[in-house]
Parts: sequence; structure tokens; C-alpha cells
Amino acid sequence: MGVTCVCQVPLAEGKSVQQTIDILHKKLEQLGAVKQGNFTVDCETYHATGNASGQPTKLLYVMHNSETPLSCLALFEGGPCLTADGNFDVLMIKLKSHFQNAKGHKVESRGSRYRYCDFLIKVGAVTMSSSARGISVELEYCPCVVPGDCWNLMKEFMQSFLGPSIPELPSVFATKPEGLYAPADCVDTMTQYLELFSKVRKQQVLPGTTR
Amino acid sequence: MADAMNVGVNLEAFSQAINAIQALRSSVTRVFDSLKDGMKNKETLEGREKVFITEFQDNLQSVNRDLNELERLSTLVGRPSESHPLHNSGLLSLDPVQDKTPLYSQLLQAYKWSNKLQYHAGLASSLLNQQSLKRSANQMGASAKRRPKVQPSTLVLPPQYVDDVISRIGRMFPDMSIELFRPNGTSAVLLVTLGKVLKAIVVMRSLFIDRTIVRGFNENVYSEDGKLDIWSKSNYQVFQKVTDHATTALLHYQLPQMPDVVVRSFMTWLRSYIKLFQTPCQRCGKFLQEGLPPTWRDFRTLEAFHDTCRQ
Repeated sequence: MGVTCVCQVPLAEGKSVQQTIDILHKKLEQLGAVKQGNFTVDCETYHATGNASGQPTKLLYVMHNSETPLSCLALFEGGPCLTADGNFDVLMIKLKSHFQNAKGHKVESRGSRYRYCDFLIKVGAVTMSSSARGISVELEYCPCVVPGDCWNLMKEFMQSFLGPSIPELPSVFATKPEGLYAPADCVDTMTQYLELFSKVRKQQVLPGTTR
Repeated sequence: MADAMNVGVNLEAFSQAINAIQALRSSVTRVFDSLKDGMKNKETLEGREKVFITEFQDNLQSVNRDLNELERLSTLVGRPSESHPLHNSGLLSLDPVQDKTPLYSQLLQAYKWSNKLQYHAGLASSLLNQQSLKRSANQMGASAKRRPKVQPSTLVLPPQYVDDVISRIGRMFPDMSIELFRPNGTSAVLLVTLGKVLKAIVVMRSLFIDRTIVRGFNENVYSEDGKLDIWSKSNYQVFQKVTDHATTALLHYQLPQMPDVVVRSFMTWLRSYIKLFQTPCQRCGKFLQEGLPPTWRDFRTLEAFHDTCRQ
């Protein structure tokens, strides 16, 4: 587990989601990256019931990542988070009385996984109830564990295949530039995905896109 | 080839002697044939006996003649050279079954190959000896012939001294921690942790650095049985490159009489990797070249270069 950065890539001029993804794949393959399978990251939303009126309902997000297929992560936005094994989903079903699943709000990102030297690049299409909403790119630099050290290095790499649309330093990095990136439980990565998915949810449906 | 191998044998006399043996055999056969045939049919008994006896005498005389000839030739043939040039391996060549057991031809090939190998090794050693590659001080001199090979003084340092030197160097650099282990006998194995960038395992032989292997900060340095894993390479290409450079460095820093200075220089050089991911290359100004950050550190100036950018 190295330093990971998740960002959203705007669509190319006049192209659909799939076409933009194909362009990115081609650029990566030109660089010399090798495709190593597929990945999936998804996020389900649960409303916490039983709150006193006046308080905003707390939203619980349960996320899965194909990098860690046997675990799932449950977190409140900006709050505590919990790493559990796969049976947590079954537990959530049992807790129906306290947590209501917002079925229409499931967001997932699915796509291909590329490896280039020590970088892992995942380009995925973000979909919400089977309509494509955007493109997510996750870049991981495996050997380094301190985000502050390798941010410039990662920016340079992203420039080589994303072109001018380089993201800002993720907020997770800003809080702990010298600290160790959360090892092996990818909490920081999933927090970044959560931010991206929340942004995508708030967006309007992209005009003219179908899946 | 015949002259070289059969020095004492006169081949001409040899073939004549073989012919003489054949002649002798045929004349002896004639004797026994005439005896077997018996007396020939003639008019009178005396006539038959006389013919028989003359024939018998003729045959015996021819046998005698042939035997004398053979004896004369045998003295000319001479003895084959006492020392069989092929010794026991030559006896293998007498085995005619070449398809199933090609022992002799394989033996000859193996012998020729080992001869060539010895020759090339001799050439290589004479070329290599032109430059002294010994990193330890050796007490050579006139006494080298009389005394058996003595261990160089710097190779038999007491372990306590090695521990002191290492701990002193460890205290020199605040962002580098050095742990000393002795898993196999008196050779020290150091685990150097450089900030949060890398972990290096340095295998020593008294105060000389023998081998080094560099792995990432998040990689496991211990093997399954809890001991330090000094053999497996790093999973990351960048640290495999740094391992290669570190091996070059430990061969570069050489000072036979003062090994502690060598260790200090090596550690200073290794410490420059604290900013492995932060420094761009001094030559091209970029961070990445073929996916790798600048992994080369110049031995004198400690500047960062890409492996392909260094002069």
C-alpha cells in the first residue's frame, strides 16, 4: 500500500464517458503500462433512523474495494470509520430497523487496472443507478508511504497521461503531509472515493449519456 | 601418430612377422595333413615308405625354416613402449560398443573442455591480478613464503569493537537508525532504517561491508521464521535499482587500513536517499524517467541523478 490519489477527470470535448476512458487507456498503453485486470469500488448509503427530530439524519456509507475483497469499510462522513470483513453487509441487513438502505444512491466505479513500473493506475466509469456520471482515476505509487514526499512525483506522472487536468492535493494529504499513509486498510483511499462519489451524486445527470 | 605412440615397434618387421606366423601355421598344418593322409598308393612297400618319409622330412624342414624366420623377425620387431600413454582411460577405448556407451569419446571431450577452462582461468587471473581487488589489508612480504597465510589484521577485529563503531556511526545521523544483529556467528548484520523511506540490510564481515539489500519502508524485512530475510529482493523496481547502486557504492568506498572510515562514508552516502522521492534529477530536472525517480547518488557530491542521466 502506497500513496494513493483519487481524482475525477472531466470528459474530453464532445466525447462520451466510454470514449474518454478509451482515450486514457490508449495513452497509458503508449506509456508502457500493462493491463492487469479490473477493479470495482462501490458505496452504499444507509440512513440512520431513530434520531431525535431536528438533528440531520446521519448517513452511513458502506464501501467495498476489489483491492481488499474480503473487507468492507463503514464510515460516517467526516466521522469515525470501521473496517470489517465481508459479513458486515449481512449484519446491515439485520440492522434494518436502525439503518435504512437508500437503494437509489448506490454509486460505483468500475474499470481496468494498469501497472506501470511502481505505479498502479485505475481508470473507472462512475455510475449511479446504471447511468454514467463521470470518470474516476486512482493513482497509487506503491514504494512511498509519505504523501508529502512524492506528491510532485505523482503530479508529474499524472501530467504525462491526463494532460492539463491535474487535480489539487487531496484534503487527506493536507491533514497529514508527513505522516504515514494509512497502511493496508486503505481508509484514506476510500475517504477520497467517498468525496468523489458525493460530488458525483450532487451533479446533474450528464446530458446525452447513456450506459 | 604411430611414431609417437609405438616408439619401439618396427611396423615393417611387425607385418613380416605376422606373415611368417601364417607361413609357419600352414607348414605345420601340412605336416599333420600328410600324417593324416598316410602313405600314398605306390607299387612297392619300400617305395611308399620312402615317399612318405621324404615328404614328412620336407614338411618338418619347412616348419623349421619358418620358425627360424619368425624368431629372426621377432627380435627385429622390438618392444612396445613400456609406459602405455593412455593408461586406464585407454582401456576404455577398446570397448567397441560406441552407440550405447560412448564413454571414451565423452571422456575425451570432458578432458579437452577442462583443459581449455584451466587455460582461460589462467589468462583471467593474470589479467585480474594486475589490479589489486583486495579490500582488506594483507601482511605480504618476504615472510609470506615462510609463514603460512595469516589472516589480515583488519579481518579479525573483536566483535565489541565492531559494535562500538556501528553505534557511534548510528548516533551521527539522527534520521537513520542502525540495529545490529548477529544471526550467524560473528558476522554482523545491520538493519538500517532511513526515515520513512527505506530499510537496508547490510551484511558485514568484521568491519567490511559484504552485501547489502534495500527494501521499501512498508516491506517486510523478516522471513517466516522470524529471522532477518537477507536474500529476497524488493517488490518495487525503484528499490531494486537502489540495491544495485548500493552494491556499487560498497565496492567503490575502499580503504584497506581504515575500515571504519569506509563504513562511515557508505552510511553518509546511503543517508542521501532520505529525499529519494522528493528530489528531481540534477541533469534533466524531471522527477521520473521510465517510471523511476532519480536513484543514483554521486559518490563525491551526493547529487541525485537518474540512472540513465548520470555521467
